[in-house]
Amino acid sequence: MINILKVLFKKEVTDASRDKRSVMAGLYYAIGAPIGMCLLMSILLQQLASPDALKITIENANNAPGLVAHLASRDIKVADDKNDPLLKAITLIISDDYKQNMSEGRPATVTLIADKSDDKLGKHINRVEKAMAVYSSEIASLRLVSRGIDPNLMRALAIEVNDQATPDSKGGMILGLVTFSIILTLFYAAMSLAIDTSAGERERNSLSLLLSHPLSSLHIVLAKVGAIAAFSMLGLVIILIVSKVVYPMVAWEQLGFSITITPEFMLFCIAICFPIALMSSSLQVFVSFMAKSFKEAQSYVTMVLFIPMALSMVTTYDIATDIVQWLPIAAQQFALMEFIKGNPIPVPQLILSTGVTVVLFALFSFLSARMLKSEKVVFGL
Amino acid sequence: MKSTFKYRNRLIKLAILPFLIANSAMIQGQENNNNPVKLTPCYMEGLSDRLMCGSIAQPLSDNPADGEIDIHFAVIPAIKPSNPDEAVLGFAGGPGQGAVDLARVFNRNLRFARETRDIVLVDQRGTGYSNQLQCDSDDLKTQFAFNDAITDLQTMSKQDTEQCKAKLNVDLSHFTTSAAAKDFEAVRVALGYEGFHLYGVSYGTRIAQEYTRQFPASVITSTLDGVVPMQQSFAAIGEAIDDSLLALFERCKNDVACNEQFPSLETRFNEFLAKLEQQPIEAQVRHPRTYELIPFTVTKMKFYSAIRLALYSHTTRSILPLVITKAAQGDFSPLAGLMANADLTQSLAMGMHNAIVCSEDWPQLTPQLRSKYSNTYMGKTMIEGLDIVCPILEVKPTDKTFYKPLQSDKPTLLLSGARDPATPPSWAELAMVNMTDATHLVAPTATHGIGSQTCAPKIIAQFIDQKAMQDINTDCISEENDKQFFMNINGVANTYSTPTANKE
Repeated sequence: MINILKVLFKKEVTDASRDKRSVMAGLYYAIGAPIGMCLLMSILLQQLASPDALKITIENANNAPGLVAHLASRDIKVADDKNDPLLKAITLIISDDYKQNMSEGRPATVTLIADKSDDKLGKHINRVEKAMAVYSSEIASLRLVSRGIDPNLMRALAIEVNDQATPDSKGGMILGLVTFSIILTLFYAAMSLAIDTSAGERERNSLSLLLSHPLSSLHIVLAKVGAIAAFSMLGLVIILIVSKVVYPMVAWEQLGFSITITPEFMLFCIAICFPIALMSSSLQVFVSFMAKSFKEAQSYVTMVLFIPMALSMVTTYDIATDIVQWLPIAAQQFALMEFIKGNPIPVPQLILSTGVTVVLFALFSFLSARMLKSEKVVFGL
Repeated sequence: MKSTFKYRNRLIKLAILPFLIANSAMIQGQENNNNPVKLTPCYMEGLSDRLMCGSIAQPLSDNPADGEIDIHFAVIPAIKPSNPDEAVLGFAGGPGQGAVDLARVFNRNLRFARETRDIVLVDQRGTGYSNQLQCDSDDLKTQFAFNDAITDLQTMSKQDTEQCKAKLNVDLSHFTTSAAAKDFEAVRVALGYEGFHLYGVSYGTRIAQEYTRQFPASVITSTLDGVVPMQQSFAAIGEAIDDSLLALFERCKNDVACNEQFPSLETRFNEFLAKLEQQPIEAQVRHPRTYELIPFTVTKMKFYSAIRLALYSHTTRSILPLVITKAAQGDFSPLAGLMANADLTQSLAMGMHNAIVCSEDWPQLTPQLRSKYSNTYMGKTMIEGLDIVCPILEVKPTDKTFYKPLQSDKPTLLLSGARDPATPPSWAELAMVNMTDATHLVAPTATHGIGSQTCAPKIIAQFIDQKAMQDINTDCISEENDKQFFMNINGVANTYSTPTANKE
């Protein structure tokens, strides 16, 4: 039986490799996804990272030379030119009675005018606010010192934050996208192949020929699933290698974290993704056989793939409930993310979801095999 | 058959791939196992990031009978460790400050350098967690009441020093700069870095230079911020203090508002000093924290020391005209506030501090230098202090070669603040005489340690990255960074408002 499977598997692989262009087309995703993501991120980074120099508009600046100088020391400067590219739509208005209030020890009003719903502006607004808060507390401290009072009295609590994050674990959202793109490879790298080897084979009328041999339909299905899974894994290996090369090139450190694809992670990923590859292949074969024609199969497979994508997505955006975290794909992706972050891996979830993944693989294979016994399916009637 | 072979070949290739990865992973793992130091996560005050702390045992001296000392250190991990073989080594000042406790400051000054390299902070022997040599110090209340002019200061400091010596009960000669340099090298070896980029502040520049002298192969670049030249004694500091104070008076004089509010500040200051010298003033102030009325004996030494410490930071510099004027008028609350704010003695390991100055700075004082440094009030006071403390502590004088200016071809960046009350730019010029690849940057308005003030952090990071100062734009160093003077007790005075208001 092993021999039959081997021969069948070889047949499927040879069949698939024949059309090199379509094989490559599937693998393009594996090569392109990390590169595309890095390009996107680099652009995003430029938007996110507050450039060193920030220019704003300050009205009545003469009233508060101390504040203006303090802001300037933090690289927040008054724009001389309205068309300065660094000029952001942030306006500070120093009140007319600023000096009066300041010298009398009353709070002196400074009004910050900006649109907080503008996401690109948020970071800059925070920066200006923070710089002004520092100035305010500095002046307040000196006021106390000049009255002979230790300004530390203002700090009733010394709040110490112990952040357990490591530079690798800080980029949670980005890490989610990285693992998402990796898991997606398992589905996309061999999608065309899966449709071709099932619905395509039927359309070329070679399926009936194959079935006319003294073979069990389960063997045929398993061989097909195996071949597809092999190409999925190839896609996985490629995306891992490309990721390892490409991700370090993005200047993540500007955001205060790093993404390191270690060899250990690659191995871990290959190990836990193998069952997913089997499951995804069997699912795609099953759906393709269900469809009546090649085109129909294409539509259905794309639609069905939405389910694993959704599972992966909820993990990526961290909206997975406690229950969803136990489901296949979601749990595996969560484990991958925890691995990169250097956190303990959720073993029970991983074992259960892997078990479910294998059961699904068996179920889809069995169902496909049963379908192949029906003439309606074999001839697409 | 051919196709089978091909296909097998392909499979083998596929199979080999993860295996090679596994292999390289194993090698990596082994390297880590060779690492003898155990690093545990730790946190330092004011810094929420997770550091890795550890310690190594180092022989206290060449004589094994003296036992060992645990040298503690912390690693601030790089954000993106693209240079895992290199790290930035931060040296704290003082002497007597612990580097690990200052993680927040080093992390801020080296924030750009940290993007790609770890920062290593080692508590120099005798400081911080490495067997801190601390003497008892008086509480604020006692300090305020203490009259250093009438009390027999000599007898008192002698007693204090003897008490401290008995408490420490260790040969302080093992805590000198040259002895400590070896600890830093041992930490480098233990952590497995190929080389260090040095970053020393104040006294930290002296140990950085000594480290470079002893272990040139371990040094990639060296950044010295507030440079102490090897050939210079700390006692030369008096001149720097006076210059820094003069710069402050000058600035107030040239500032219309300040000059109007605090006219002839310098004269007032000198007159008040003279008055204090003749007769300390007995006053009462509120305790800066408990608010109870406590006696406050204002002496020349207390007043001058408080002003001197305030010269280090632009924030406290800005209220000095107010403090001086108020004190001269008999209101000592601002002075009390300033003294409470600068309670430095707690953070300095005085035992280690004395070990260094008595071994390295005191023996160097020739009669000529003594008379030269005694021209300034602070220089004179310091020498008098050393003359009491050092004979009791009996620290072995350091080797004469220690005082030779460092000969180095390492890329070196020297940073000075022109208003530095401790290590003025001229000291850096002295330090770099035998350095072949040195660049000296002076921030015209900055004070001590320009890494915390100007745009220096960026320049330091670029310098560390490129290992050279060529092509680095240093214009921003010359930007003014001083703060507006405090004109009245609340900050800005309204007397000198806008010119239009004056016209009305």
